[in-house]
Formats: sequence, C-alpha cells, structure tokens
Amino acid sequence: MKRLPLLVALFFFVAIPAAPARAESRGEPGSQAQPVQLRSVQADFLQEKHLKILTLPIVSTGSFTFQAPQSLRWEYRTPIRSILLMHDGKVRKFMEREGVLAEDKGMRLDAMQVVLAEISNWLDGRFTDNAMFTVSFPEKQTILLTPKEQGLAALISSIELKLGDQAGLLDKVIIFEGPGSCTSLAFSNRIINQEIPTAVFTEK
Amino acid sequence: MKQPVLFLLILLLGLTGCAAPHPLPELIAGAGEDRWCEAVFPQGRWEFVHTIDFSMADGSGTTVLGVTSLAGEEIACALMTVEGFTLFEAVYRRKEGLEVRRAVPPFDNPAFAAGLMADVRTIFYAPFPAKVQYGRAAGQSPTCRYAGVDGRITDILPARDGCWQIRTYGADQGLIRSVAGRSCRKEGESLIPGYLELKGFGPMSYTLKMTLIQAENLNEKVLP
Repeated sequence: MKRLPLLVALFFFVAIPAAPARAESRGEPGSQAQPVQLRSVQADFLQEKHLKILTLPIVSTGSFTFQAPQSLRWEYRTPIRSILLMHDGKVRKFMEREGVLAEDKGMRLDAMQVVLAEISNWLDGRFTDNAMFTVSFPEKQTILLTPKEQGLAALISSIELKLGDQAGLLDKVIIFEGPGSCTSLAFSNRIINQEIPTAVFTEK
Repeated sequence: MKQPVLFLLILLLGLTGCAAPHPLPELIAGAGEDRWCEAVFPQGRWEFVHTIDFSMADGSGTTVLGVTSLAGEEIACALMTVEGFTLFEAVYRRKEGLEVRRAVPPFDNPAFAAGLMADVRTIFYAPFPAKVQYGRAAGQSPTCRYAGVDGRITDILPARDGCWQIRTYGADQGLIRSVAGRSCRKEGESLIPGYLELKGFGPMSYTLKMTLIQAENLNEKVLP
C-alpha cells in the first residue's frame, strides 16, 4: 500500500476536472462558468520536478486521455517514454527500455485496484468524502488536499490544485513531497467530452 | 548430509564463477601522470540527471530518473519514478558518511543505500589511494592503478573506446564493478559521458545503463 500515494497523486490529475462543477453547486470557490458534465478529457502536460539538491528542475512532457468511468491513458514523451493504460479494471504500464516500449511487470496491481475504486469518487466530485485527504479551499480557484494518515503524509505533504477559468478543467497540479521537493504539472491543449476509441486505453 | 554439501559446492562454484572470468589483469608498468585519469572525474561542483535502466541478470528491472549533485566532499543523489515521485534521496559526506533523507520501500533497505552510493562514488569520485601505478593493463590500454588501504584496487582507463572505463577489484582481486563511458565530451578539465554502463558483479549481478539528460557545471555559476 505504500506505493499507493504516487498512484493516488497520478489519478488526481485526471479525476479533478469534475470538481469545479460540484464545488460550484456547494457555493465553494471554483469556476464562474456553467458546470460541465465531464465524460472525457484529453490534454498535454508539462511536468517540472524540483528537488532541493537540483538547481534546475527536471522537465518532462506528455499527454493524458481520460474517459469516464475508469479508462485512462497517461503517456510521457520525454525524457523517458512511458505509457500507463487502465481500462475495464485492467492496468498495464509500458516503459521504454533500449529503444523499445516494454511492459513493466513490476507494478503493484493490488494498489492500482484500490485507486481505481477511488476514481469514481473524484469523478462524482466527492472531495469532502475522501478518506485519504482533508480538502480545503485556501483561495479562489485553488483546492488544497492534505493527507489524513501519517504514513501518507510522510510521502506527500500536500497537493495543490489550480482550477482553470473554464468549468471542469484544471490548469495546474503541484504535489509537495517535503522541504524543497515538489512536482508541478501544467496542462494545455485540453479537449473535453470527445468520444475516445477504446483502443486508446488498451493498446500502447 | 547431501544437501549441505551440494549447497556448499554450488556456493563455491558460484564464487569461483564470479571471480574467474574477470581477474585483475597484469599491469605492465610505464610512465604516467595523475592528470590522465583525473579528467575522468568531474571536477568541482556539478549536477547530473540520467535516465537509469536497471536490470538484473535474469532480465528483470525497471527505469528511473537519477539525480547526482557533486559539491567537493559532498555527493547527493536521488532516484525518481518517471512520474516524478522521489523514491530515494541521500547525501554522502566523506567525513560524516551516508545520510538517507528519504527512502520509499523497497528502497529503504540499508544495503541498497550503501550499494547505490558505492556505485555513485565509483562513477563520480576519484579513489583515495595509498599507492598509484601507471602502465598498460593486459598490455593494451593506458591505465592508472589505484590501490586502497583496504586492499581494493581501481583501474582507470582514461582513453578507452573514445571515452573512459573504470574497474574496481576486491581484496581478492575479483572484479566488483566496471563502468564504461561512451560519447564523451570535454567540459573544461572533465570528460563527461553521454552514456554510462555500470555492471556490478557477484552473486547478485546487475547492470545500470545511464543516459545523460542534463549536466550542469556549477563551478562558474553564481547560485542563489
């Protein structure tokens, strides 16, 4: 279960887009636009990893595709090509090794199953019901997730979600691991509610 | 009684099998200078980011991102998933030893931390020798041979295949690690490889294939 936080963090990137609509309905900070029922999201992302021992961040680029209820393709293009696929309860991960995309069989799929169960909660906008994180709204357009469990807090101190102007979309995620260490993801080129072929979630 | 005997036989064969293929080659002494081999190790303050493809002898393994920061007597290193999650972070200081700042299972084993830092030091830090010899190992490549007080020997081949190689041997003169650099480029006094391949020998042999993503020479930069 200790690998779970990473996976939880990963899924936040996908699952959060449904939040603003629900937040608005509760009168909480969020987008001023009309809520959108999200069926699918596609976007590019720019990831920056900051470490205390590193002067310049490590920059990664990629894209993701999500389709409700539980289909995901999370793909890095640089610096290492890798693809995480989730569909119909099955999870697979491929990583480039010596120029070839090979399946990473070392993944803890039991943890992945737990995370999949969590996804439906995020999609339904149930942030306050989350068993893992305390949710707060420190400022307009920002959601702050703080781990409830000490074990999880040792790995992730908090996650900050920056909401976009358009309802149902997320601009940026910052995962704080500890002093001087964080990962930020900025999203662009977003497309919502487009029909996605199943093969996107099943084939590398 | 048969099983313990068989086990010992396998163990002995295994040990022999590890040591025999890579014995310490004879060094034919010749003239040489420290500076030949000093260029193998980055001088001063540097930061490196590599993709690290780790594989065991059975073919299993994974790929992670590795960060190495060098600052005089201090080496800091970190391993991350491609998603950016920090799996391991540690600092080694020559006088104070190893400080593990973060270690997520299964990277929380002390033996892993010690082994990783030994790999990092082999690649980035010149050995601290009691005695240095120069010559040609196996009559071929120019070699600097550093003998440590603990009996360990490090051969540095500063001009091998257009880059450099490092080989470390135990007190029994069996090969422990080999590092082969490729696609070297000269940065000041240092030769920085674009690709490194480290092999660890022994009962748990492994290979690290490291591709350089970024190298920052901090010697001339004013840091905040």
